[in-house]
Amino acid sequence: MAASSTSTPALDLSWLNLYDDATSATPGKKGMTLKEINLGRYADSARGPGDSTYRLRGAIARANAQRFGPNYQSKADVWSENCLMLYDEATQRQWSSARDIPWDTLEPLSDEIERAMCQLCTMLTEVEFIAGDVPGQWMPFVSAQDFEAGLFLMSQIMDEARHTDVFRKRALANGGGLLAQGSGLGLRTLIEARDFTEMSVLMHVQAEGFVQSMFRMGELIGQTEADKRIFRMSAQDESRHLAFGVMHLKYVLDTEPERREEIHHYLDKAEGDASGGGSGDVTFPPVFESLCILLGGGVDRFDEGVQKFLLLRKRQINEYVHRLAVAGLGDRRERLGPLMAQFLEPAS
Amino acid sequence: MSQSSTTTEIPQEARDRARSLGWEEGLIEIAIEQGHSLQEIWQALRGGVDGVRARQFLSGGGFVRPDPWWMKVPTEWGIRARAADPALGLSIQDLMVGTYGDVPDVWTNRTEIARGSFPATVGEDMGYTIFDKAIVWADCCVPLYEIAIRDRWISATDLDWASLEPLPAEQEKAVCQLMTELSERAYLEGAILSGWLPAISYGYLELKLFLSTVIYDLARHAETFRKRALANGGGLGLQAPTDYSRTVAESRSFVELMATLFVQDSMLLTLYESGDLIAQNPLEREMYRLCARDRQRYMDYQVERMKHFLFKTPERREEQQLYLNRAEAKLVRDWNDPAVSEPLALLLAGDSRRMDEGHRRLRELRKHQVSAYLANLQRTTITRKTLNGRLQDILNA
Ligand SMILES: [Fe+2]
Ligand SMILES: [Fe+2]
Repeated sequence: MAASSTSTPALDLSWLNLYDDATSATPGKKGMTLKEINLGRYADSARGPGDSTYRLRGAIARANAQRFGPNYQSKADVWSENCLMLYDEATQRQWSSARDIPWDTLEPLSDEIERAMCQLCTMLTEVEFIAGDVPGQWMPFVSAQDFEAGLFLMSQIMDEARHTDVFRKRALANGGGLLAQGSGLGLRTLIEARDFTEMSVLMHVQAEGFVQSMFRMGELIGQTEADKRIFRMSAQDESRHLAFGVMHLKYVLDTEPERREEIHHYLDKAEGDASGGGSGDVTFPPVFESLCILLGGGVDRFDEGVQKFLLLRKRQINEYVHRLAVAGLGDRRERLGPLMAQFLEPAS
Repeated sequence: MSQSSTTTEIPQEARDRARSLGWEEGLIEIAIEQGHSLQEIWQALRGGVDGVRARQFLSGGGFVRPDPWWMKVPTEWGIRARAADPALGLSIQDLMVGTYGDVPDVWTNRTEIARGSFPATVGEDMGYTIFDKAIVWADCCVPLYEIAIRDRWISATDLDWASLEPLPAEQEKAVCQLMTELSERAYLEGAILSGWLPAISYGYLELKLFLSTVIYDLARHAETFRKRALANGGGLGLQAPTDYSRTVAESRSFVELMATLFVQDSMLLTLYESGDLIAQNPLEREMYRLCARDRQRYMDYQVERMKHFLFKTPERREEQQLYLNRAEAKLVRDWNDPAVSEPLALLLAGDSRRMDEGHRRLRELRKHQVSAYLANLQRTTITRKTLNGRLQDILNA
């Protein structure tokens, strides 16, 4: 028997003497949230320089800690001022696609309407899949100094899993099935991003913004109470993802204004080079057509559907431009490509 | 129509597409003059409307009606999934019907495509690298996904933070040192698992959904332990040792990652299950109980994945021993670190003046962890040939 593991080692106890200030967070109205423990030398405002380890902010560094590879050293690279609140909200507002959707309100729909809904769900369950991969891809690069941004991204991964599953459930719950794959849908740009801010602007602000504007029209798209609820619940989650992106962009523009043209450059590419639809493209024909059928109320009312689709597109573009303005990129409206600019309302 | 304008700028991409579809020069402008919006024209172009049809439509004044070919694609139709267990609701298990329930041994589609939908004729490679069921799959991930959702908890409100009472200074420091280490280990594991998500192709959708719950659980563990460290007059201590975690980060494949994580996942599960021994108050007892429940699901997946993997690829059985050798050796190094062992010994004894007793109890706890680990390996059909010498000593003591 090796003495070292069966007998008592000499005492060290140096870890008892590393600090002597006492921290006592107290729970607030919403319990012990991240905000309550964001205090003193543990607060994000007291963030010191990062290192290439997973040492969480405020923990004492080990002299012999090995590095884990490069991560973002500057707070602005990943930070969003609302990420603590958004993570807490995510924990409070998790829902279950199994139990919180009134599946029993589904009723047989006409074949063309059911097919249109299933086509839309096929596209959405595809889009939501990459929405989990993309934050996943960046997690190892988020410094543990900014771990709340990491916690938020992990909550987003959970949200997107739920979205992936709820649209699959809907497609398979009412006598239909999955239909045609959306070929591309501009999704690869999200995973092609080589920078966290680029990813966040393209995914959180643009793609999830477009999806959010569509979910908000869910009352018009959904034909049953279950459908409408799916859009409502998903929209609630998307508004967090969107809020993270808008506030991240704002943080970057406030603290590193020299990045403005670089960010415009990413958007020039995403709005122009692609089909003009941007990421999560609803102008892909099967998606466009199924939306028109659902919004119009049938194939024979397709023209009416087109008019509502144009309203949806208008809403997507104007809300997108407004969100960018909130983040401090109001001049984006002058640079939109023609397929987006056609919907622009005058600046208010 | 409302979007009409004589000054509409026509994107070059639209002109190029019109030309390739045989639209005569100037037809786009005619459509705009007739009051069609650029968006409608774009949709017609994307929908593949050729020059002859476009001309016909425009002379008739109407807009191009689509050909909804997607309504007729040969996917399986007529599915009406129903909740098998009404208490659980409509679960992803309920969707495993017909071809939608086929999880292929090898998934060949490199694009992003919902499993069971009709593939486009051509698509870009999304860069997934995992296309083998044997590498990632365990049947239990399907039911465990919904159970994870049903059993999730909220650290902010499900733990009674107001119940915390001051502890003697050394005990509080010991709790805080342990929390610092466990918080970092949870966060790191969540971050590294997250990084693997983009590798896994859509064929194994349900597994990715389940892994998302694991990642979310680990985020919760990370913040829960941090909260405990900052709630009762202590603070964060020394960061966790890096030997074992570096091995996790060094994994070159999902197979290696999972074998490496197996060691710590099993040991931490047993530690949390033994939470009553180290908890200093009801809040900590409840915290360990909830974390153990989360980790049990993850362990069930780990065990079944490994068992399935070895069954499918027996030629890779010996290789797993290499990963386990390495992971065990590094974990033992971490265990021998005073900032890891002493806080546990102190908490087990309740007092720094009884550290001999604390270390004796810690040896018992370690023994319990190692035997549970071997039992978990046994469930995967692995019999450990060369258990790390230090771990063997712990077992023999
Ligand atoms: Fe989503
Ligand atoms: Fe989202």
